[in-house]
Amino acid sequence: MATLCRVRHRWKRIKCAHVLTRSLTGKFDYDLVVIGGGSGGLACSKEAAQFGQRVAVLDYVEPSAKGTKWGLGGTCVNVGCIPKKLMHQAALLGTAVKDAKKYGWQISGPVCHDWATMAEAVQNHVRSLNWGHRVQLQDKKVKYLNMKGSLVDEHTVKGLTKAGKETILTAKNIVIATGGRPKYPTNIPGAIEYGLTSDDIFWLKKSPGKTLVVGASYVALECAGFLTGIGLDTTVMIRSIALRGFDQQMAGLVTDYMEAYGTKFVRKCVPKRVEKLSSGALQVTWSDINTGSEHKDTFDSVLWAVGKAPETKALGLDKLGVKLNKETGKIVLGADESTSVPNIFAFGDIGEGRPELTPTAIKAGKLLAQRLAGHSTQLMNYDNVATTVFTPLEYGCVGLSEEEAERRHGKDGIEIYHAFYKPLEFTVPERDASQCYLKVVCERGGDQKILGLHFTGPNAGEVTQGFSLGFQCGATYSHLLQTVGIHPTCAEELTKVNITKRSGLDATVTGC
Amino acid sequence: MAQYEEVTVHGYEEFCKAVSERAGKEIFAYFSGNKDAQGKSWCPDCVKEPIVRGEMSHLPEGSVFIYCQVGERAFWKDPSNDFKKTLKLSGVPTLLRYGTPQKLVEEECFKSDLVKMMFTED
Repeated sequence: MATLCRVRHRWKRIKCAHVLTRSLTGKFDYDLVVIGGGSGGLACSKEAAQFGQRVAVLDYVEPSAKGTKWGLGGTCVNVGCIPKKLMHQAALLGTAVKDAKKYGWQISGPVCHDWATMAEAVQNHVRSLNWGHRVQLQDKKVKYLNMKGSLVDEHTVKGLTKAGKETILTAKNIVIATGGRPKYPTNIPGAIEYGLTSDDIFWLKKSPGKTLVVGASYVALECAGFLTGIGLDTTVMIRSIALRGFDQQMAGLVTDYMEAYGTKFVRKCVPKRVEKLSSGALQVTWSDINTGSEHKDTFDSVLWAVGKAPETKALGLDKLGVKLNKETGKIVLGADESTSVPNIFAFGDIGEGRPELTPTAIKAGKLLAQRLAGHSTQLMNYDNVATTVFTPLEYGCVGLSEEEAERRHGKDGIEIYHAFYKPLEFTVPERDASQCYLKVVCERGGDQKILGLHFTGPNAGEVTQGFSLGFQCGATYSHLLQTVGIHPTCAEELTKVNITKRSGLDATVTGC
Repeated sequence: MAQYEEVTVHGYEEFCKAVSERAGKEIFAYFSGNKDAQGKSWCPDCVKEPIVRGEMSHLPEGSVFIYCQVGERAFWKDPSNDFKKTLKLSGVPTLLRYGTPQKLVEEECFKSDLVKMMFTED
């Protein structure tokens, strides 16, 4: 009993001494500690180091339920943008090979795809990026710790290695950029045991085979898209709408194209359970939301793409009173990426209301570093961010959806110019271009400022990036009319668009 | 007992042979321009070799360090040589961890902290 009292007093004395030292000298181990080594965390830490700040970044990948883990670089590099775009490219090449015959290429027999070859090449590229980031951090004098970071108090971070060894770091400012991880459904037996997520799909050594993708997000559609493209039997199960938050007319064109190109869609259904059969295959039982009737089918793989969530519990945020959004679990942020705790900041996918995109995380991270180093007061501008969904028919957009424009300006306050066009490259191989479409949503009066621009077609990302500059500069419909197109391209159709939705006229582009 | 094995080879064929004879082991390879009779290399950057040698005490237990002289300057400058074509080397000196994308090229080899990082981190 007496021993206990003595130990407790000693601990109190030590803690007091520690705090006293800190406030006397104001000395911290680091000026900035960043938790999270993804797109945002790396950009922020490197930028801060450029200004002579003492910076440390902690990156740690908690293995997925299936045991998948990866190196430095975060979601984008390892289980997102990069492997996604490469596999999307693999799928597009499959279509190109089919078209090639019509262009005169002598290809004997059917061309099939080998998953292992693609996966190895993609995984090797990702590993070279992991290494590249590692060398960059070292070069820019950022201390890198492969440890799981959590908050002890507003100036102290605890790092835990895989082996369980602890390290304590003190910092003047702490930045949280830990992003999100795919969610598993909580009420479906067999979901976690037998299912995969986007954390796993890019690291599979063997083909996923006949796959059921559950979800209708861009993650679900992009994955289902490339799986179909490389020749796998793929089904997408959607509960309500596809690409929530995006322009719904465009979302329809994207899914229509996928359906025409072989992806199966099961709509208005929810999975009930996943069971493993003696053959090793997975049997999924689902029910129709409207009729309640149950259906079954067997698959080799089930991919859950039902949303992503931040790992805030392990960070110890509740202990420090960092305010979170109750619904999403994301951190509530000010315009300057500040949290409810004075010297703790957060940005990227973990921020409430922030776009879940790499370029915005990078830019926000750099600006935050500049502000923390006292070199700038500039805030991140989250408006007018262009984005592209890399489904088999790509969809690029910048600005407002038609629905949002209508909400803000009223149906009578907007004018929508639109056109169905046919890429020249589709003509020779006689490819169906019914879903190749574009629309420019403008203010109805005055110069007709462009409120939103939407494009489905090949290379939509490349097309949209160029137009997003004009958008950023406040382009109007008259600017568009004054812009001469480059011929022959798909992008030029945006400069020629002249049929309004209001007119009800046929919007199909005819000839040159 | 030696911490690591050092092997010296000349040219691409000898390099491949040395690698195939040590399958399953962790192999680090350092590529340098040939040294003349006085021990001086035609490659001006390769004189910083002592920096790499200085970190070799950090090599993992049981690993292999292959010191490979690629050839004369004319051979190296020809873009069709096997080191450039097959091994995808872009410059000398190059220090790499065989079978992984981890490599340090030219000036990167002069930074002892980067060399140490390659030898000690996963």
